[in-house]
Amino acid sequence: MTNPKGYRRGTRYMFAKPFRKHGVEHLSTYMKVYRVGDIVDIKGNGAIHKGMPHKCYHGKTGRVYNVTPHAVGVIVNKKVRGRYIEKRINLRIEHVKHSKCREDFLNRVKNNAKLRAEAKVNKTSVSLKRLPKPPREAHVVKTADTTIQDVRPKPYEFII
Amino acid sequence: MAFIKLVKNKAYFKRYQVKFKRRREGKTDYYARKRLVVQDKNKYNTPKYRLIVRFTNKDIICQVAYARLEGDVIVCAAYAHELPRYGVKVGLTNYAAAYCTGLLIARRLLKKIALDTVYEGNQNVDGDDYLVEPVDDGPGAFRCYLDVGLARTTTGAKVFGAMKGAVDGGLDIPHSNKRFPGYDAEGKSFDAKVHRDYIFGQHVANYMRHLQEDDDEAYKRQFARFIKLGITADGIEGMYKKAHDAIRANPEYKPAPKKKVEKKRFGEKKLTYEQRKAKVKKVKEEFLKQLEAGEDVDMS
Repeated sequence: MTNPKGYRRGTRYMFAKPFRKHGVEHLSTYMKVYRVGDIVDIKGNGAIHKGMPHKCYHGKTGRVYNVTPHAVGVIVNKKVRGRYIEKRINLRIEHVKHSKCREDFLNRVKNNAKLRAEAKVNKTSVSLKRLPKPPREAHVVKTADTTIQDVRPKPYEFII
Repeated sequence: MAFIKLVKNKAYFKRYQVKFKRRREGKTDYYARKRLVVQDKNKYNTPKYRLIVRFTNKDIICQVAYARLEGDVIVCAAYAHELPRYGVKVGLTNYAAAYCTGLLIARRLLKKIALDTVYEGNQNVDGDDYLVEPVDDGPGAFRCYLDVGLARTTTGAKVFGAMKGAVDGGLDIPHSNKRFPGYDAEGKSFDAKVHRDYIFGQHVANYMRHLQEDDDEAYKRQFARFIKLGITADGIEGMYKKAHDAIRANPEYKPAPKKKVEKKRFGEKKLTYEQRKAKVKKVKEEFLKQLEAGEDVDMS
């Protein structure tokens, strides 16, 4: 006895609208601009039946390769058995949003360009690299208002 | 009476989903707005202009706007309360005034984007079909779409008067003459002469003449402001014709001079923290002084 193969099988919750977010879609969904190469998250919107993604693409992130009047074409990598296949799907705007994974990078690019231009004008040298959080600098800890707690391991004791 | 369960209890309010704010206020029709405002994705950031026409009880508001995420941007606006500057002092919400306001916003907008010499619009106003032709060499006509809002689009509605004014002013607004006054629904024919009469306020003039003959009291009551300004039924067409010429001559917006207003205070000014502390301290001192003096303590 195999499972049914309905297109939207098992999507009762996946495509359900969130609590108190039913009804007309707010217009900022439609006013976002998508260009070729943008990285987008795919999230199916159960209220809009046209241009919906298949349930296997819900939550995936892809790149825009085509823009049409009401939809975008997205390239997504789908895992099939042991490999990833590049898939091209057509999705309406309502099921797609800009991915924030790209936002940090794009802001950093813009910022670096600005810093580089400033450094060129001021003739200073500037490092644009991101650095991991370094160890804390040497500092003095006052113990006037606090007591120092000494923490050390206890010897083993069998407790029932 | 049988027991009636309270419907609007705590659980009801917890689950209640409000409509959009502007829908709750009854101001925006989102079904229409989505179709008016949203631009094709393959046109990216190109603005989609719309001519917004709204009528209040005493004014007409015409705006040309395009939508952005941060909020709609108004390119140009014209109000019927500017018409006194062009010679139209009364009847600011009638069909003729709507036509004038539409004409004003069109000329103002075209002047703003330096297309007013290229697109003159319809100089001879005869209420007939007129669609702006794009010029061969040079920029295309300014295209915008009519946004009626929540107005009922019946034949002869004033929103279409404003639109006709804008089209005759030189804006490219796709439309048909089905909803202009003068369109016969049964015969499916359009009589431009009736429309022309509405544009020049002849329907108002005819009513003035009718009331003057029949009921002088009603005439004086209905057209009191017309009488005060000395506007007769025969002079109405001339008044609007002159207004159209004046609008075409100088459509620039002149802001009203700022009035100096002295702010009136209606209540006490709020005390500062120090003032409040000082007040308490003073009352305490007085109380202690009374105790020491041995007098009957005033407990008020």
